[in-house]
Amino acid sequence: MYQSLLTRRYLTSQIMPLLASLAVMLCTAMVLIVWSVMGGFLATFVNQGRVLVGDVIVAWPNIGFAYYDDLAARLEQDPEVAATAPIIEAFGLVGLPDGRQETVRLLGIDGARYAKVTSYGDSIYWRALLKPLPKDAAGADWRTKKEDHDIYQRMYDNALTMKTDRLVNELQAARDPARRAAARPGAVLGIMMSGFNSRDPAGFFMPRARVKLLPDGTKEWVETILPIEDSVTVNVLPLDRKGRPTDMVSRAFPVINEFHTGLYEVDNKTVLLELGALQQMLKMDAARRIKTDATGAAGRVGGVSKTAEGEKFVLPETVGEDPARITTLLVRGKGDAATARLEDLRARVERIYAQFAADHKGEVPDASSIRILTWEDQNATLITAVKKETALVLSLFSFISLTAVFLVLAIFWSMVSEKTREIGILRSLGASRAGITWLWVRYGLAIGVIGAALGLLMSYLIVSNINPIHEWMGARMGIQIWDPRIYYFTVIPTDLSAMKVLIVCTGGVLSSAAGALWPALRAARMDPVTALRFE
Amino acid sequence: MPPLIQVRSLRKTYRLGRVDVPVLRGVSLDVQEGEFLAILGASGSGKSTLLHLLGGLDRPDSGNELTMRFGDVDLTRMSAGKRDAFRNSSVGFVFQFYHLLPELTVRENVLIAAMIALGRLRYASQAAVLKAHAEQLLETVGLSHRLDHKPRELSGGERQRVAIARALMNKPRALLADEPTGNLDRETGKTILDLFTSLHHAGQTMVVVTHDAATAARADRVIRLRDGLVVQEDPDTPLVGAAGGKR
Repeated sequence: MYQSLLTRRYLTSQIMPLLASLAVMLCTAMVLIVWSVMGGFLATFVNQGRVLVGDVIVAWPNIGFAYYDDLAARLEQDPEVAATAPIIEAFGLVGLPDGRQETVRLLGIDGARYAKVTSYGDSIYWRALLKPLPKDAAGADWRTKKEDHDIYQRMYDNALTMKTDRLVNELQAARDPARRAAARPGAVLGIMMSGFNSRDPAGFFMPRARVKLLPDGTKEWVETILPIEDSVTVNVLPLDRKGRPTDMVSRAFPVINEFHTGLYEVDNKTVLLELGALQQMLKMDAARRIKTDATGAAGRVGGVSKTAEGEKFVLPETVGEDPARITTLLVRGKGDAATARLEDLRARVERIYAQFAADHKGEVPDASSIRILTWEDQNATLITAVKKETALVLSLFSFISLTAVFLVLAIFWSMVSEKTREIGILRSLGASRAGITWLWVRYGLAIGVIGAALGLLMSYLIVSNINPIHEWMGARMGIQIWDPRIYYFTVIPTDLSAMKVLIVCTGGVLSSAAGALWPALRAARMDPVTALRFE
Repeated sequence: MPPLIQVRSLRKTYRLGRVDVPVLRGVSLDVQEGEFLAILGASGSGKSTLLHLLGGLDRPDSGNELTMRFGDVDLTRMSAGKRDAFRNSSVGFVFQFYHLLPELTVRENVLIAAMIALGRLRYASQAAVLKAHAEQLLETVGLSHRLDHKPRELSGGERQRVAIARALMNKPRALLADEPTGNLDRETGKTILDLFTSLHHAGQTMVVVTHDAATAARADRVIRLRDGLVVQEDPDTPLVGAAGGKR
């Protein structure tokens, strides 16, 4: 009883415990903030990795594999498979409206199927927004303007069909009736790719004023989003079935929308195209197979033939059809993405592919060669690196936080010395050694609880406002700690979970009690007569 | 009737560096229940050490002839825990420099002895009764108007009266006072001695260590310590104080 009374009075009557609490607060906040940001980085990285990949991929890069519709149908019959999506992954050059050429990763997708396997639907950026973002108090986000909701909805629909039909027809015809066109494949750009959008601190994107090259060679300043009226030129270098490069192919695509995953590397370097269009450009669409001579040249079996009636053009003989190819088939499993389920799903896909390869022997890569990976496998190197870096940084900061133990120890040592006579008084009144020990340990615990609570509050305030703080530091002091080109994400991700709070705060409290323990034992061991005579 | 306190051949030696310094060299004395005993002696004669040993604050040197009893209890065979409980409930200390806890109020300084004795639950169940008892003790010593003051807000005499109330809180069988007026002016000291006298008349056993003749004059019996030995134990012996009074 007397311990609680004295603890309360010591806490409120001296500056020393305040200093000790501040030490615990800073250490607790430091570890929580570091863990929260590193953990958030890892969690976001892992989750975003799944956004564009699905659960399991079947891949044969660059050349691709055929009969993917058959494989998809077989997979979708499996009770554990929810959906599949064929895609093509390639690299290319994209010409932007201001004349820049950017090297990008191209993904040819079937928008509707891709959205069933990944979170593509959620990442489509230009869409009608019924409620402004939490930090957009001024309602400055263009997507919240009700009068434009119809047009944004149509942009969203177009991003799913990957075609420009209604929107481009109407908008472009309004500006230039000659440009009225039939529905045609479009491009969906990563939101950071063009460089024409800037992120507002409230979390949404706004278009930048930019120069646009007009067909007559003149330039004009525009300030609107790309999907309204702009096109990009995509250049690819197709490979033949044996992997040899052929002539470069260029094609203009109207921009129909942009997407935002939050993963900088993806948002900055990815362009989505309609699957069929990219297949055509890369010569991976279905094609006639013609008869060739022993050297593989078609000219000797077709071309100009001399007959009695004169010269005659002879077409090469069609001997079959090469089916369309894709480089990757994405598979989405039913249920959650737990590692055990992923491994089970991969095993099922492997079994199904083995049967598929046997049925198309010689026409598709065999089961031992094809790459069948979970999304975790695909990112294993980076995920493991981030996990290890998180553990390392956390260990270092926890070690640094041990200074709090020694700081509390030093402060308590000094306080015990200062209170020597009071310890003697308590002993003369019958307080036991255990009682004196508990008085000081309890005091240390109280300081730990206060410090940990303040540290939690401080870390919560910093973590929940870390992006505005970072932007403010950038604007006022020119400090940019979090560079998205290095750290992948356009915003600093955080993850302040209850478990982390519990572990770190408990650690803070126990550290403080540990720091108090030695001085407490010293106090308890004091000879009461000597303590009473202490000057 | 057996004495409340019975001491035979009490010795205590302190070690200073490599040198053993005997402070008590075989003290024997009895204190009857309800008696007011004064222990006189010069500085360094061992009187405070004797008081600490009687109150269980310190341990005597062991010896075959050593006897140290308090009522039915053999102080030489007490465990540390029992010694703590003994200090808490059987004796009450009053020190020359008051030794109040500066962070606590007057009321809390008195109550803390009960808090130590009872623990959280038992104290909480009796809190109202104990507070009333503490306030009544403070009223007895004339401090009922100072209950919520801190020690730094009190005069020396008031502080000593708080210390006396605290010593009496757990109704000890003996009050042990070490130079209780040594830090007070004559007038304030007289007030404290009047308080001691009234307590004695109420039946409180008291052992007071002093070198002040006026204090000793209030006692039933006086013993004198010199160089760790009782050199005089005669209630009828005239005493002369430092100021040139009776010897």
